[in-house]
Amino acid sequence: MTPEELTALAVQAEADGQERFPLDDDGDLDPWTTAVWLTARTRTIAIEPPGEIAAASPAMAAKMRESLAELGGDRGPRAIGDDALPASLADVALRPGDPGYAARRSTYMRGGKPALVLRPRTPDEVADALEVARRHRHLPFGLRSGGHGVSGRSTNDGGLILDVGAMNGIEILDERRRLIRVGPGATWKQVAAALDPYGWALGSGDYGGVGVGGLATAGGIGLLGRAYGLTVDHLRAVELVLADGTQVRAGDTEHPDLFWAVRGAGANFGVATAFEFEVDEVHEVGWAQLVLVSPDIERTLRDFGEVARKAPRDTTVFLVTGPPRQGQSVLQMYGIVDSADPDVVVERLTPFAQTGLLAQQQVVLTTYAGAMAGASDVGAEGHQGRGEPVTRSGFLPVLTDAFARDAAALIRSGQVYFFQLRHMGGAIADVAPDAMAFPHRTPEFQVTALGASREGLDRAWDRLAHHFDGLYLSFETDPRPERLHDAFPPPVLERLRTLKRQYDPTGLFRDNFPLIKDEETDR
Amino acid sequence: MTDYGHELLFGTFVTPTAQAVELAVAADRDGLDLVTFQDHPYQPAFLDTWTLMAYAAARTERITLSGNVLNLPLRPPAVLARAVASLDVLSGGRVELGLGAGAFWDAIEAMGGRRLTPAQGVDALAEAIAIIRDVWDVDARERVHHDGEYYQVSGAKRGPRPAHGIGIWVGAYKPRMLALTGALADGWLPSADYLPDGIDSLPALNARIDAAAEQAGRPPSAVRRLLNVGRTSFAPTARGFLNGPPAQWVEQLTDLTRTHGITGVVLATDDPATTARFAAEVAPATREAVRKERA
Repeated sequence: MTPEELTALAVQAEADGQERFPLDDDGDLDPWTTAVWLTARTRTIAIEPPGEIAAASPAMAAKMRESLAELGGDRGPRAIGDDALPASLADVALRPGDPGYAARRSTYMRGGKPALVLRPRTPDEVADALEVARRHRHLPFGLRSGGHGVSGRSTNDGGLILDVGAMNGIEILDERRRLIRVGPGATWKQVAAALDPYGWALGSGDYGGVGVGGLATAGGIGLLGRAYGLTVDHLRAVELVLADGTQVRAGDTEHPDLFWAVRGAGANFGVATAFEFEVDEVHEVGWAQLVLVSPDIERTLRDFGEVARKAPRDTTVFLVTGPPRQGQSVLQMYGIVDSADPDVVVERLTPFAQTGLLAQQQVVLTTYAGAMAGASDVGAEGHQGRGEPVTRSGFLPVLTDAFARDAAALIRSGQVYFFQLRHMGGAIADVAPDAMAFPHRTPEFQVTALGASREGLDRAWDRLAHHFDGLYLSFETDPRPERLHDAFPPPVLERLRTLKRQYDPTGLFRDNFPLIKDEETDR
Repeated sequence: MTDYGHELLFGTFVTPTAQAVELAVAADRDGLDLVTFQDHPYQPAFLDTWTLMAYAAARTERITLSGNVLNLPLRPPAVLARAVASLDVLSGGRVELGLGAGAFWDAIEAMGGRRLTPAQGVDALAEAIAIIRDVWDVDARERVHHDGEYYQVSGAKRGPRPAHGIGIWVGAYKPRMLALTGALADGWLPSADYLPDGIDSLPALNARIDAAAEQAGRPPSAVRRLLNVGRTSFAPTARGFLNGPPAQWVEQLTDLTRTHGITGVVLATDDPATTARFAAEVAPATREAVRKERA
């Protein structure tokens, strides 16, 4: 093959969307020189020289690789070379083409093509993985626990993913104090099942397949929220690996600042490797799944708001709807009544069921684990998400008539295919707004909308902006910088920024609502 | 008059960072003949020069590229020979091999290279040149064997066949290196700043190279004389050697060719504007002036 033909072949492979162009040593052209040449003649494909680079020393070989990485930029699967990995990570690294990569490349909602997924099993391995991330600061870097994250880019193209899924232990630390220790990679369904035999529960979100790490560092607005508070309200200590690889334990008495920050903005501060929660004694509950039809979504929203406001704190009900069909809205209402008494459960749910025409209902007495059990867990097949979620979030202080009107218009706008109200109040509001980095204590609802088009959803949603006070970062994907100020109101943001400069001055953790801009870091 | 009669080459000498690719592209576009790269891989701020050169070669079209000079102790000769020949093939004959014996031994050793005395370095370079020429000699039948004091090569494959006769240009200052240059090299590539008396040193050093060439049975013109020049400027008024208006540069460079036989002027600069003026206002006029004088 002539050099021109070889170059044309690489260019064509790239045009065909291939990620890798493996070179053979045919005994003629020097493989390294050829690889460099072809890299310079292509843009994204990873030109892979065969075997070791012929060089005077390992240091020279490393220098050559680093130089090409600097010149050629971020390339396909070998953007992070094998030599960049410490031995401890050799068994837990997944690259395109590796068995298991297909299950880890994407998340629940997002398609991705990371160059490298590292799945450390211990805090030491997390520290090693962070060293790799520090050395490849130019690549996108995401953290993943269960892979349900909407706001955090827990997958990416051509970057690095630190996946803590393997750290999924659940143990009882102190039965008397109901103290448990959970790894970030466990799912809430697994946690619920492990606590079930003790008659305990720990409120999470509304879906059991979600991983512990992401939720427990952001908030946790779930179906036990009004009865027992947010997930972060139950956190007593957390073990983290910081950006520089330091392993720390944070709690009320150790690194209390960090402990404050982790409960709401954890993804900015480190990789949590273990959480210690004080859980609640929760026996049987009423678990309700209702389907209602409404010809008048505005009225149903208004009524739902009123019913939810009057509900006792033992009752938490979420509402989901989509675009109306032939003028009829279909609403799912699902929630938990913290009572084993069927009469109480029915009494609590009846007003909700009357906000529209009840089409289906399933109400059972079960445990929290039973309510979580319906979700599919993250299995060996992982996630197969595609695309990029387009979402907005807002905390709604009061569901007013005006909000019901504007929300109905949003739902009818054609820009929203999923609209959710998460019922708050109750125990969530018992905690002071400055107790931790989750300050949104008094809204009636957390509102989420999913759309197909970024521009379309933002335009429709922004019309509702005056109804909201803040947002829940876990459900927000609007990239505009002012969203950070919605997630963290001024005094919280100021304190978080100060702590960020202390604990992550180079801004290594920048994937999910970075507190300081890249240009403000000490890189 | 010691004009050896080669066609003139004008080039630049750039710092080996990622910016050098753009500088090479600019020099190529400006119509310069050469872009050359210093080689200090132990310097963390610098790229590996060979990787940089191969990358820059792929991004340019006409210009010739060379190390200035490549660091032999960190570049095993058989590997280097294959790499240089490969890039010559890939680039369509646009590579020359600037080579040096190595200087900063602590740094070389820290990078995994072997520490040699200056005298050993000269001998090692002589061995390396023999190996390199052997690898390039694809018409010989047997594989390359070399059982030297510094390098052992056992059964290396020859080739690839270079696209043109690649010149080996040696950076040399001391008598033994100058003798080696005269005997074995195709070019001499010193820096004016390192010559004991600047360009006034040239007659004596040229004479050593000439003598060594003749002793080896080669005509002195077998060794092209190039010169790296630094601390230059396009000043509005004449201030000294290559510090003045372009017309003065032309005059001085013409004299450099005609009196000292320098037929490759390599300007140390990372400034694209200087490079552009050198290419537009100095190179063609000097070439023309030399052509007239030679006629």
